[in-house]
Amino acid sequence: MEMSFLVNGVQVEDTFAEGFSMWGSRLIITAATQKWANIAATSMSGFATSVIACDCEAAIEKEIPADESPDGRPGTAVMVYGFSKKKLAASMLSRLGQCVLTCPSTAVFNGLPAKDADTMLDIGKSIRFFGDGYQVKMRMGDGWQSRKRFWRIPVMEGEFLIEEKIGAKKAVAGGNLLIMGDTEDITLKASEAAIDAIHEINGVVTPFPGGLCRSGSRVGSTYAFLKASTNTPFCPAIKHSFKDSKVPDGVNSVLEIVINGLDEASVMKAMGVAVKAATKFEGIKWITAVNFDGKLGKFQMSLKESVESA
Amino acid sequence: MKKIVLTPRGFSMIPIEADVISPDRFAGKTISEIREMEIYYGNKIYPMKEYIHAQGKVAETPDKQLIVIDGDARHIKHIGECMTAGRIVIQGDAGMHTGAQMTGGDLTIAGDVGDWCGAEMKGGLIRVLGNAGNLVGAAYRGSAEGMTGGCIQVNGNAGSEIGSFMRRGMIVISGDTGPFTGVHMNGGEILIFGKAGKRLGAQAKGNGGFIACFGGVTELLPTYKYDTTYTPTFMRLYIRQLSNNLGIDTARYLDMPMRRYRGDLAVGGKAEILVAEKA
Repeated sequence: MEMSFLVNGVQVEDTFAEGFSMWGSRLIITAATQKWANIAATSMSGFATSVIACDCEAAIEKEIPADESPDGRPGTAVMVYGFSKKKLAASMLSRLGQCVLTCPSTAVFNGLPAKDADTMLDIGKSIRFFGDGYQVKMRMGDGWQSRKRFWRIPVMEGEFLIEEKIGAKKAVAGGNLLIMGDTEDITLKASEAAIDAIHEINGVVTPFPGGLCRSGSRVGSTYAFLKASTNTPFCPAIKHSFKDSKVPDGVNSVLEIVINGLDEASVMKAMGVAVKAATKFEGIKWITAVNFDGKLGKFQMSLKESVESA
Repeated sequence: MKKIVLTPRGFSMIPIEADVISPDRFAGKTISEIREMEIYYGNKIYPMKEYIHAQGKVAETPDKQLIVIDGDARHIKHIGECMTAGRIVIQGDAGMHTGAQMTGGDLTIAGDVGDWCGAEMKGGLIRVLGNAGNLVGAAYRGSAEGMTGGCIQVNGNAGSEIGSFMRRGMIVISGDTGPFTGVHMNGGEILIFGKAGKRLGAQAKGNGGFIACFGGVTELLPTYKYDTTYTPTFMRLYIRQLSNNLGIDTARYLDMPMRRYRGDLAVGGKAEILVAEKA
């Protein structure tokens, strides 16, 4: 094992998570109730865990209280990540069109203001064509406030409101940590606590189910037709059968948290709070992060620095 | 901000045309130069000091200039015309063309204002705490476009042809409006919290423009077609904007069902008139 340091008495490997550059976007879905905002957001961010097999990576960032949302209704912030602006826009368009436009009472607002974005994507401007000519362009703030554009699209229930442009920026994907415990139960509980802590950080999401990934991936496979396999070095079930197993003694369960964020600092902070939260549980034996020896990713996010930044 | 106080030397039946009263025209000058600026008294040119006393500090740039008019200025026309920045506060009534063609800044009239207030306005904010005359935010005769940006807020009533040929921007009238509100409107928003006058939205084309009537309408043209009664989500944005940015108490209008009419069909228009159901 490499050098390690202690957090709450738990060994944390002094290594780094290797992150990749992706285009990220943030939007706010509001609805008549929090229930419907969450339903739309959940539906929109479905099947978007990893670009290994999904068109994008997406997840709910947080719920937005009614008094903080653009239209005064309860909302949910969703973040979507894609490998290019074009792919990101295509994914958002299809997901908004099928999962949010269709969902009762929803409206969509840009969650990444132009001043923070690298580009503004014409999402609402494209969705408007569903209005079949009856869509209405809505202009706000011309000449006296920040200029905003929306589209109002007639739907069977009433009207769907969507902001014309959604901000996108070069973001960071692939922040991660592995939480290793002596039982499945304690590993899951510690990981859940880590996810709860991450949700307190703005601008980051954890796209896997409930934020957790039990089958981390490894590049390559013994089968020629597969480009990735389960992360065998970290599978406790074969730790004494697999020659290069990286599972420490006493560890019988491993869960991975993958974090995408709008900037490196936010992702590192999320990693840090996750480490601190997970290490509070007795039975957690070891925490590490996945990397490719720095050969593939643009970002090297040190676990030690992330704990210090949290 | 640096403040200049202008005091009209009494009321006159002969109007004064003083488009020089603007932060843009004052900034960078000395107070003596400002006093010598030319105004029209009837059809004759005089230095401003003959009819308006000026005193105070002059800013280097318009955005740092505050002009306070202390007294009755209902005979003074063109105050703040074409202003781009800064602030004017009129502590009384103001004459015609106040804030016409302004592109920025803030203009407050504590009393009533004459006709053509904010005509062809492009930006900025005009607040009228009293009543407004006719043709608020309208196009000058022969012009294709009236107001194209900015916001005009009238706390009292307003006259006829409000927002005539309006293209963009927002007009908010807390009281009643006269006939032909939004005539030839082709964009922009007019929100009326009193009763809207006859021939509302006559010949309006649409282009995203709407007239929202929260206090009812006198009558609607037959060339507006009723579509539905619903609670438009987008109206929440305007209601909140009025509350947060203009201090208008609009909470009771949130989620108020509205009857939606579309027209003016006489010109193939797609403008909307939304009338609050409980008005």
